Amino acid sequence: MVARSWATTPGRLSIIAGGLVVLILLTGAVAAATTMSKSDTTTDLVEIHEPTAADVQRLYRVLSDADAAAASSLLVAGDEPIEMRERYEDDIALAGPTLGLAALDRSGDPRVTEQIEIVGRQVPTYAGLVETARANGRQELPIGGAYLREASHLMRTEILPAAERLYRIQVERVADERDSAVSFPYTATALAVILFVALLMAQVQIRRLSKRRLNIGLIVATGAIGLAVAWSAVAMTAHSDLVNEGHEHGSAQVNLLADTRITALQARADELLTLVARGSGGAYEEEFVKLSRTITGEVGDGGTLREARGMTEDAELSAHLDKAIGAAERWLTTHGEIREADDGGQYEEAVELAVDRRRVGSSAQEFAALDDSLSAAIASARQHFVDETVGGGRALTLLTTGWVLLALVAVAGVVGGIRQRLREYR
Amino acid sequence: MKRCVRIVLATLLVGFVASCDAAGEPRSLVPVVPAERPMPAGVDLSPEAPEGGSGEDCGDPTASLAPKGLATPAGSTMAEIKERGRLIAGVDQNTYLFGFRDPSTGELEGFDIDIAREVAEALFGDPNKVQFKTVSVQDRITALEDGSVDIMAYAMTITCERSEQVEFSSVYFEAGQRVLVRKGSGYSSLSDLGGKKVCAPKESTSLANLVSADPKPVPVAVNDLADCLLLLQQRQVEAVSTDDTVLAGMASQDPSIEVVGETFSSEPYGIGIPKDNKDMVRYVNAVLEKVRAESWQDIYGRWFEPVLGSATPPSPTYR
Repeated sequence: MVARSWATTPGRLSIIAGGLVVLILLTGAVAAATTMSKSDTTTDLVEIHEPTAADVQRLYRVLSDADAAAASSLLVAGDEPIEMRERYEDDIALAGPTLGLAALDRSGDPRVTEQIEIVGRQVPTYAGLVETARANGRQELPIGGAYLREASHLMRTEILPAAERLYRIQVERVADERDSAVSFPYTATALAVILFVALLMAQVQIRRLSKRRLNIGLIVATGAIGLAVAWSAVAMTAHSDLVNEGHEHGSAQVNLLADTRITALQARADELLTLVARGSGGAYEEEFVKLSRTITGEVGDGGTLREARGMTEDAELSAHLDKAIGAAERWLTTHGEIREADDGGQYEEAVELAVDRRRVGSSAQEFAALDDSLSAAIASARQHFVDETVGGGRALTLLTTGWVLLALVAVAGVVGGIRQRLREYR
Repeated sequence: MKRCVRIVLATLLVGFVASCDAAGEPRSLVPVVPAERPMPAGVDLSPEAPEGGSGEDCGDPTASLAPKGLATPAGSTMAEIKERGRLIAGVDQNTYLFGFRDPSTGELEGFDIDIAREVAEALFGDPNKVQFKTVSVQDRITALEDGSVDIMAYAMTITCERSEQVEFSSVYFEAGQRVLVRKGSGYSSLSDLGGKKVCAPKESTSLANLVSADPKPVPVAVNDLADCLLLLQQRQVEAVSTDDTVLAGMASQDPSIEVVGETFSSEPYGIGIPKDNKDMVRYVNAVLEKVRAESWQDIYGRWFEPVLGSATPPSPTYR
């Protein structure tokens, strides 16, 4: 039937018109869908995936913080201070809701389910052990210490590693989603190229079939598609640039700083556990030295903090990082004093230097200063990420509608232009 | 048209019947898995027996070097310690009544702590000139061998095997192994515990005795003595078996457990001293002579009399 229609000029014109309309609608639909999906992925990046990664990172932090608070209470005599107890309770209270949110964003990844299950199952057990330790401590029974050590062992060997894996998976997710947001739209591009060629070939055919040189309808269609393609090129380039910028100066910084924060928390726990072990904590001290070196590097050079500092030109972020570097270095100095005191038999002095938050220059204070500056730096880098990425998303805002409208204009052009030719045969 | 309607209806019906066929059971998306019971760090569920609890026969291992007074001549180990300004004592911080951290003060306290302080008092005239290094039960010998402590006051049983690696002071305390169980559990001695889980510290004479017991219990070895009480409270073991003195400390922390059965071993405690420091052994023995005469009853009274009744200091033997 098609072959028979192709034999006559009106038949041929109808086939060309039909083919072009189908191709335009297909290209328009694919391009609009691609744009919409890029735009949605970008929105999800800012609204779901990156916040989940940040929340899971905070989960890791609060759990280590809870554990450090528990370790401190093995060092501090008597009833624990109210601030310490409240901090522990606030920390534990965050675990459940964060896990719930992380579960929402798991998207069927069995690794996520596995980590959530470990943390979800063990945190209540952990809290139970800590409370048993408290109840015993209140009656001045030393067995409380054994419960705290068991709790800490559970936290360090099961819960924290799972929380860290969960965090790494989320960071991976963010990277994947970002890649898919800025990926090159191959299908849509190929369709657009084919459509262009088809439009040009149609014009050549029509010129051959009729004596007119130009067909206004087809020119309008070609123009509409050309405009849509040019618009897409500009918008998508801007989008990728901004999203990539948001990564380089935002989320890449956040990842590095979050890693630094996790390392610092581990080092702090090691510092306290060295004292809890009271003379047999050599392994903890070794780990402290190794971990602290990744943060500050060798004296005055290297380390993740300086790496982060070198990556940024932002004044606010730089200020936070400078503060963090200062605090980290003072912390290490104090740590040296603590080791000296402890190894020299001044155990009480060493403990005081390590846990007394009110004492100027104590490692509790310097560590808190480091953690606060890191927290502020992470917040600042996250803001940068959100600004750039949302800006990138905005570049795509009208493009979906644009494709729909311009495709309709192109269809109208094709139909109008060819109907005009067809009329000549009636 | 009518035919079309019929076809549609039929299709719907077939679909409905098919879905009735496939109807499964209500599903649960969260698998029910029993909780993982937490364990203290370093629990060994199938420990090897410590090498020869009795060891080769070395005669009487409790015969120590005779004391030669409290002088600290130049060049002696004691002079080196005085030079340093403090005695370094290896102790336990997790065993109630022997060496433990008082939760209300944060200070280390207990029988062994007091004995270490007596040695510091003799050396410096000040019982506080002592630095405590806590070690786990299994690291006691290593800490003495590498010289990181001057003395080890750690409820340490004198055995022939250990005497090959370290020196011991004269006996300063005598204990014996018994069994700690939950009240109402029906166990009245170690022989009731064949095939049951029984806790003892790693590398201890208690563990060696458990492994050679008949009927044989299932030994569970831990790093710290306190972990045994924890495992008993968590119902992860049926009993704890170690020295009666240690068990008394555990029983006094929990009214629902009790020490049962006869004493089935003799555990003479000596202060561990590095092999090369023979002069220090004689010095510590001189200190212990003084302690036996003057303060032993006080120290014992402070820690053990309320739970174990009165006792007299063991008399020393020398080789």
